[in-house]
Amino acid sequence: MTTSFKLELRRGSVVVGKWRMGRYRIERLLGEGANGKVYLVQRDRDWLAMKIGADTVDLQSEINVLKSLDKQRSLETFLYDVDDLYGPDGREYPFYIMRYVRGTTLASYLKQQGPEWFPLVALNLLGKLAKLHKAGWVFGDLKVENVMVADYGHVELVDYGGVTAKGKSVRQFTEIYDRGYWNGGSRSADPGYDLFSFAVLCIQLHEPKRLHALTKELLPQNRSTSELMEIADNCPGLKPVSGWLKRALMGEFADAAEGAEAWRALMHRRVTRNSPGMPGWLKGLAATSGLLLAASMGWLLLDLFL
Amino acid sequence: MKQILLITDGCSNVGLSPVVAAAHAKSEGINVNVVGVLDQGDVGELGASEIEEIARAGGGLSRMVNMRQLSQTVQMMTRKTVVQTIQLAVQKELKQVLGNGSIEALPPEKRGEVVRVIDELGETSGLKVALLIDASASMKPKLAAVEEAIRDLMLSLQARQGKSEISVFHFPGSRHGDDCVMDLAWTSHLNGVQSIFPKLQMAGTTPTGPAIMQVVDYYRQGQNDMSDYSRRARNETDGMMGDYVV
Repeated sequence: MTTSFKLELRRGSVVVGKWRMGRYRIERLLGEGANGKVYLVQRDRDWLAMKIGADTVDLQSEINVLKSLDKQRSLETFLYDVDDLYGPDGREYPFYIMRYVRGTTLASYLKQQGPEWFPLVALNLLGKLAKLHKAGWVFGDLKVENVMVADYGHVELVDYGGVTAKGKSVRQFTEIYDRGYWNGGSRSADPGYDLFSFAVLCIQLHEPKRLHALTKELLPQNRSTSELMEIADNCPGLKPVSGWLKRALMGEFADAAEGAEAWRALMHRRVTRNSPGMPGWLKGLAATSGLLLAASMGWLLLDLFL
Repeated sequence: MKQILLITDGCSNVGLSPVVAAAHAKSEGINVNVVGVLDQGDVGELGASEIEEIARAGGGLSRMVNMRQLSQTVQMMTRKTVVQTIQLAVQKELKQVLGNGSIEALPPEKRGEVVRVIDELGETSGLKVALLIDASASMKPKLAAVEEAIRDLMLSLQARQGKSEISVFHFPGSRHGDDCVMDLAWTSHLNGVQSIFPKLQMAGTTPTGPAIMQVVDYYRQGQNDMSDYSRRARNETDGMMGDYVV
């Protein structure tokens, strides 16, 4: 549905806001979303991200969400500027300027840094979702592409186009992450919706091919959470969390905070028990904990940093 | 809000022009969206331009998609049209208040509140979508995907806070004289509906225009029921008043 959006800004060109006259130098395209493009830009010495929308009303409702998030967060400002620009085609396009998140996408981070980062990154992601849920929002369009990871597993969510107030219909979603698509529940925004997508995201990270194949071979009426569970159960990397995934797919967690708590407890228990069938990434965690003398102490310390 | 969503794979070939019919719909306050479904190739230049023109005349959107994208397209189109319908209404109000019609012309800091209202109305207003399905012979292998898209749309609409209803029609009708046949009357859920198109007889003609007119009639009937009701209510009040006035 983005075929009408053809705006392209060249590297090095300078964009000046129509109303507030902010000057931004275009560096490069960072990504394309369902309703716009995001560029890396420079203002004075700062690196910022510029989202340009195809539709003013669409982009403004995203800005409204970001504004209320800004109010609630109090510390980290998200939104720097909101304005219109004149494209090379002479048309006006709305844009906003936000913080630039340095980092790589979730999938490539795990590929580069190793799968032993998965439990921690996932936990950090649950923490991010928990903040949103606490403030009354649901992220909506949670998927691998919308999670950026920086050094040491620091997680940032990008593309707030799907963020929806609790109780309303999810504004934007991606089929394979969608609870409704898997006949697993409604498309109303509740914290369980995000946790469902989170579970699919875990499966997508470990078994992308099998998940893709499943969407091709299943008839719509046969899509179900148990099909998803079957992939998780048969994946060695997901075995330790398969019980957790099941609870997320069944909507048993009240919100991401509760999910994060259970995730953390799960890691803790597995590490201290030191089970023989422990996969590589858990062994890595156990070793780290060992360095901190007592395994439980290690987790306590880790808790402090989270 | 009222919408007709036409799903077709080719050109109309009988009766009133579908473009004229769509313009009729628009004059009744019904937006007409059109999805053209592609096989391997395309719907042909003629089909493509007709699809685009029907949507333009009907104040709606048109898209060409393959079967895999059908559900998502139907869902997004319906949502987009809701926002656009509300946006038009709000812009009309703005015109009276501010002397200019477009939200784009407002400075960014003033758009927030207007868009908040649009979003709120889009989520809470009542919505009716009549799905009109081309069931000519070439559509036969695509009907399963169409049914899936309808179920998917219902799921999205059910998540809205406002009342949402769909109805389903296909054309041509199996009997002579029927331009289209109703498969499903206004409903807000598909619980217990095993199959929307049970043992459909695929016929050769494609009376897209007359079928649109029939759906417009269906909308109008609904309204007539309403106005009959209100007329009756008014008469009763009149009668009572008459007693008092004399």
